[in-house]
Amino acid sequence: MRRLHLSLMFLVALVTTTHAATTPQVQDAWIQEAPPGATVLAAYLVIVNPGAQAQTLVSVSSPDFAAVEIHASQIVNGVASMTHLKDLSIPAQGRQVLAPGGTHLMLMRPKHALRAGDPVRLRLHFRGSARLDVSATVTRAGADVIHQH
Amino acid sequence: MNRRQFSIIILLIIVGLFALPIFFAPKPTTTTAAGMTLIPPRGEIAAFELRDQHDQVFDLARLHGKWSLLFFGYTHCPDICPTTLATLKQVHQLLGEQNKIIQYVFVSVDPARDTPEVMERYTRYFDPDFLGISGPPSELDKLTQALGAYYHVDKNTAGDYLVDHSAAVFLVDPQARMRGLFSAPQNAQQMAANLRHLEKF
Repeated sequence: MRRLHLSLMFLVALVTTTHAATTPQVQDAWIQEAPPGATVLAAYLVIVNPGAQAQTLVSVSSPDFAAVEIHASQIVNGVASMTHLKDLSIPAQGRQVLAPGGTHLMLMRPKHALRAGDPVRLRLHFRGSARLDVSATVTRAGADVIHQH
Repeated sequence: MNRRQFSIIILLIIVGLFALPIFFAPKPTTTTAAGMTLIPPRGEIAAFELRDQHDQVFDLARLHGKWSLLFFGYTHCPDICPTTLATLKQVHQLLGEQNKIIQYVFVSVDPARDTPEVMERYTRYFDPDFLGISGPPSELDKLTQALGAYYHVDKNTAGDYLVDHSAAVFLVDPQARMRGLFSAPQNAQQMAANLRHLEKF
């Protein structure tokens, strides 16, 4: 009985480790603080995929915003434009960096005022059933934040 | 003077004539490594009439007397615009005394949503010294065309429509002449380093 118990514990540990090593993870999630009354904000983060299979981010939701979309800013011939992305692929054992001036999460119609330091909950939904809950901190943009990426 | 000497003198005169434009040519456009393009003055830009965040007229006269840094964008822009305005805020902080001869102007190309009240809240958040101007497309077009800036309101996108716009920060001199631009992505330290030498431009 004791041996069975140990074996089960080992199995649980193995499954947990395997799970942690293959599901996407998020680092450095932050939201650029916006002027009072702003109806759109941007969230930035790094999505790391340690697994052997590519992962696809298909949607994001937040209890603090009416809607969240995946957007990409581009500057082509000196003109800035934004494109709404239907999804975002994170390559196997790779990463996607969402940073100012590039891909970002567009957070629309905040349900309450957000100030620097506030945590915001984001739920990332990946193709299949994987989902990931993330806390992003509202940050007042400055030199350190803008140029570290 | 023999014939040979005469030929040499004629040759020198001809070479000299060809060389004249080199000495009298206007200063060429120069681009620095710091993403700044400086162009020679070509006269005052065309007249326009917009309104600032206090609902006061902002026209050509208000570009006279100071150097102006102009950035075109809109307040419903979550990424490029706040990032650029945060950079301009850092430039403002870095320059100190030099700010006496510079004005920072955020030009909204989305007047339908960016009323003076909205612009007042928006610009004050970044820096109380910043100006926020906008106006009807017919007047905005005069300013964008004069500076070579671009914008396009994409009304086809449902609901929260998007606006394409120039990403550069434009530089206008105290005689209201277009003098250059800082290409995106701008770097506050590099911009400030260039702007410390405005009197040499």
